[in-house]
Amino acid sequence: MTVSREVKKSLSEYKHTSLFWTDLLYLMSSKPQSLMSVGPFRKMASNAKKISVQTIEMNEELAEFNSRLSAYYKQLSDTWSQAQEEYNKKVPEIPNDTENIESSKRIWIDIFENYFTRLFDSPEFADNFGKLVTSELELMGHWNNITSILLESANMPTKKEMDEVYKELYSLRKRIAKLEKIANKEGS
Amino acid sequence: MESELKINPKLFEEFLQINKNIIDAPNLASALDEINLEMTPYEVVYSEDKVRLLHFTPLVQKTVKTPLVIAYALINRFHILDIHPKKSWVKNLLNQGFDLYLIDWGTPTEIDRHLGFDDYVNGYMDNCIDFAIKESLSDTVSLQGYCTGGTLSTVYTSLHPEKVKNLILTAPVIDGRRDSTVVANMAKHIDVDKLTETVGNMPPEIMYYVFSILKPFEQGFEKYINFFKNIHNKEYVDNFIRVEKWLSDTPPIPGELFRQWIKDVYQENLLINNGMYVGGKQISLKNINMPIFTQVAVGDHLVSPECSMPIHYAVSSTDKTLRVYPTGHVGMIASSFSQQKVLPELGNWLKERSEK
Repeated sequence: MTVSREVKKSLSEYKHTSLFWTDLLYLMSSKPQSLMSVGPFRKMASNAKKISVQTIEMNEELAEFNSRLSAYYKQLSDTWSQAQEEYNKKVPEIPNDTENIESSKRIWIDIFENYFTRLFDSPEFADNFGKLVTSELELMGHWNNITSILLESANMPTKKEMDEVYKELYSLRKRIAKLEKIANKEGS
Repeated sequence: MESELKINPKLFEEFLQINKNIIDAPNLASALDEINLEMTPYEVVYSEDKVRLLHFTPLVQKTVKTPLVIAYALINRFHILDIHPKKSWVKNLLNQGFDLYLIDWGTPTEIDRHLGFDDYVNGYMDNCIDFAIKESLSDTVSLQGYCTGGTLSTVYTSLHPEKVKNLILTAPVIDGRRDSTVVANMAKHIDVDKLTETVGNMPPEIMYYVFSILKPFEQGFEKYINFFKNIHNKEYVDNFIRVEKWLSDTPPIPGELFRQWIKDVYQENLLINNGMYVGGKQISLKNINMPIFTQVAVGDHLVSPECSMPIHYAVSSTDKTLRVYPTGHVGMIASSFSQQKVLPELGNWLKERSEK
């Protein structure tokens, strides 16, 4: 299951219209905004547009995410129905007495376990799951971008900037470890 | 019209009993945070960043000079190897007279996201092994790798064969293409570049999800019913809580390490085909020429035997042993079966090939 062409088209039109008005309103208001917001607040005002772009783009990803999530639940519910159907067929074969409660439970677990393991083992399930996670990551990416814009407006380090620090620390740690190894070798 | 509701008295009795057990449970079982998983005493003899090398205090006179270094998996913590006095892998080996070290990978945080195979194998692992060699006044170590620790140990031994006297691989992840488990199925379909680029480290939540789809009805439903049914069995409850605590402690995996592991081992299957590169060097399994002991479990639903066994045929060692046990991934290392069968066989094999 994937997002249909019609849905994609209407999303793209929505994106265009939203961006058009966001841009126009931004242009129309930028002069009075400049007059009214001075200093650091100016930065926050100008970043507002970036946030709306991220929000608009998130809608597109949301459609893909919803479609993948629906497919995921459909796979689960279809498998449940098939397993239940098989169990229902088995029920008349199990003697209806107290001694067989345990075996009845065992049969139920075995049937459901088999059906669901077959589902989780299938390439169709893994393919949809992989795409579901990817679309979730796309949404997360936009959320990260929005958080970064807000952090930037508040003069705080963004995720990207923090990652640059981590990268720098990583390479420093690696260089120190290498030097320590050389020093230890020469010392011994 | 009179209707009669027939309730089976035995079923009713069982229902009441399980309800009573649920009410009694808090008085009979500890909460996860109240128990300590540390069992056998050890000393932290070396540490670097978040990685620690543990040296277990001997329980009997040492009978083997060559130290045994265990590289635990990257998933969950090492405590499963010492989860219960009657099922402890560590305690059993100490009782057999081995000098035992264990690498605890710790809990990586966001600052560690750029650590990769090179840092783990040529950095942490190599430093830990150098330390064990120096401290034990030995020239080499015996190296055991469990699960993904088996993958790391294989890569390490290929790059540093001169430091490894014996290699023991317990359910190692080697041939991703042949792995028929649900874990491998998911690993082959995940966009690992996007995952690590967006979230950094591999989040534990993904592992919890994967755990939840492995035997979902036995593990997610029946297990808890059995727990309440057995609430008055002290040993059962204690073991259950300890294993649950271990299962719920899954540290993140450094992003770059996870990316390389998924891509090179599961998606492109480079390790078994001698096409993987670590620290700029090609990993040739033919470099592994020392005695090798491979342990696999028929019922392993995390690493299928077909994924582990190819290592036995890919190495150039002439002294090689492959054992297939009728148990599961955890059963192979933490069960009565492992105490009675797996560990004595491993101990005997290792003693014959170690320096006394």
